[in-house]
Amino acid sequence: MQPISWDRLFGYQHAFDQPATILLLGIVLGVLALAPVAILVADKRKPLEDKQRAELWQRWFSWLVLVVLMAAPVLLGAFWTMLAVTALSLICYREFARATGLFREKFTSLLVVVGILAVGFAVLDNWYKLFVALFPLTVASLAGFQVVLDRPAGYIQRVALGILGFALFGSALGHLGYLANDEHYRAVVLLVLVSVELNDVAAFVSGKLFGRRKLCPNTSPNKTIAGAIGAVLITTAFVALVGWQVFAGTALEHWPKLIVLGIIISVVGQLGDLVLSSIKRDLGLKDMGVTIPGHGGLLDRFDSLILVAPAVFHYVWYFGGFGLQQPICIFSGARS
Amino acid sequence: MSQWAFEPARDLTLTRKERRQSLRRESDLLESGCHLAWALGMRAYLKLWHGLTVEGREHLPLKPPFVLVANHASHLDALLLAAPLPLTIRDQVFAIAAEDVFFEKTSRAVLATTFLNALPISRRRATPKALSEFRQRLVDEPCAYILFPEGGRSRDGQMLPFKPGIGMMLAESPVPVVPCHIDGAFAACPAGRRLPLRRRITIRVGASLTFAEVKNNRAGWVDVAGRLQEAVIRLAPAGSMVTSSVAKAAEE
Repeated sequence: MQPISWDRLFGYQHAFDQPATILLLGIVLGVLALAPVAILVADKRKPLEDKQRAELWQRWFSWLVLVVLMAAPVLLGAFWTMLAVTALSLICYREFARATGLFREKFTSLLVVVGILAVGFAVLDNWYKLFVALFPLTVASLAGFQVVLDRPAGYIQRVALGILGFALFGSALGHLGYLANDEHYRAVVLLVLVSVELNDVAAFVSGKLFGRRKLCPNTSPNKTIAGAIGAVLITTAFVALVGWQVFAGTALEHWPKLIVLGIIISVVGQLGDLVLSSIKRDLGLKDMGVTIPGHGGLLDRFDSLILVAPAVFHYVWYFGGFGLQQPICIFSGARS
Repeated sequence: MSQWAFEPARDLTLTRKERRQSLRRESDLLESGCHLAWALGMRAYLKLWHGLTVEGREHLPLKPPFVLVANHASHLDALLLAAPLPLTIRDQVFAIAAEDVFFEKTSRAVLATTFLNALPISRRRATPKALSEFRQRLVDEPCAYILFPEGGRSRDGQMLPFKPGIGMMLAESPVPVVPCHIDGAFAACPAGRRLPLRRRITIRVGASLTFAEVKNNRAGWVDVAGRLQEAVIRLAPAGSMVTSSVAKAAEE
């Protein structure tokens, strides 16, 4: 392996090379530090119910753990980032499979997991052609190898669910890991993570403040049009301002492009949220699991991220190119 | 066109700890892998170290639902009864294990669920209501149980009387129950021994019984327990440790 790849994959000493990384971390840590103060102040002015207070603290603590779990791999190196994304893909798929009942189809699940692990390898290897090829290949294996079971009853359902699971959690989410194949991936990945979470919070807050008309009441009764618009405005402003730092010196250091990026993150993020709401509604479930106390399943937290990852990846790639100086196929040595 | 039916995991809303203690537990892919690996390892171990032989293999059902019952004198017993079953149904076969022994310590509960696929039963509260969940799952899923109606390991190798709890689970139920007799497990690994000695072990499998016509009341439960006990004793070879106190009691 060339030193440049090693440095990107394991070079924790470069964690704070970019000012934008420090800026984003500062924002997150600041918010996390202020939250307890806000809870205490709110409690003082108008005492909360015990249950409500306990829930707020539990949520805050869960966030603390989540932030460490998300930030640590990104700072430590691209290898750890990719590993964390692959783990996230697997856990999200597990929740999806258990919620739909697909997990009882062990063979289908095994094929999806193999697909997700293969995506993880393609990402780590910086082998884009394999990364792209894995979508049709996994679909082919899901549809094709199932025939061996000689059990046509439920074939369409298990193949379709397997493909949807792989598309969302293997292929789409895999793009988040692929972002780490750029030399300056840290700030970009953090920007995506922070702005997607901000987007959720902004929609919630502006919905609470101004929301009257429902966005799509059958899918998610608590979402309002005002919330959606507020989220677009706040997220776009944030992405444009912080993006100026993150993409300094690249083709994206350009206001209109950054504003469009902000709109993409906000709109696609909200769509991802609604995708999961639709899935849950269809299944008649409230949460996808109980992985994170106070939040529900991991999917309930990361739903907005799933569709944002490929959207941001291809937008940035289109303008700026991606990891152009980085060696490709580091481990496989494939010539493509 | 009929709608697609989605069936979320029955244990979806349980935390990891609750899930281990629950009768609603359903294996995920990783656990299934562990069950399979464990089953393969156990088969090899029992064959090589204990020269396990199974007589009456043709009586073993190939598909759930069914219940295997046997005499109980060793921790090896549940592993022994699981060994000859097809690997394809490994996930659906549950060893019913005492809650106080296997499920109170977390580490032990993790091992019991991850490898043995054990379900907890409380020995203190074996009521019809508590057992109805077992009864329900047997037919709903369908699945299979490995069960020791003596309610604990015999300390001297002699069979203890079967408890009527087995009847609460099986009276008025169409599920076939297969009596088995385990010979040699007590000599290999009695209660209190950590590592098994190298002793030959033989499992004898008998023809299955059903208790659909037995009334689901106290008399029925006792009847089920008694008939199963008899069936297991009948499988024991003459002069084996089993036929002593229990057999005498049965004769009287």
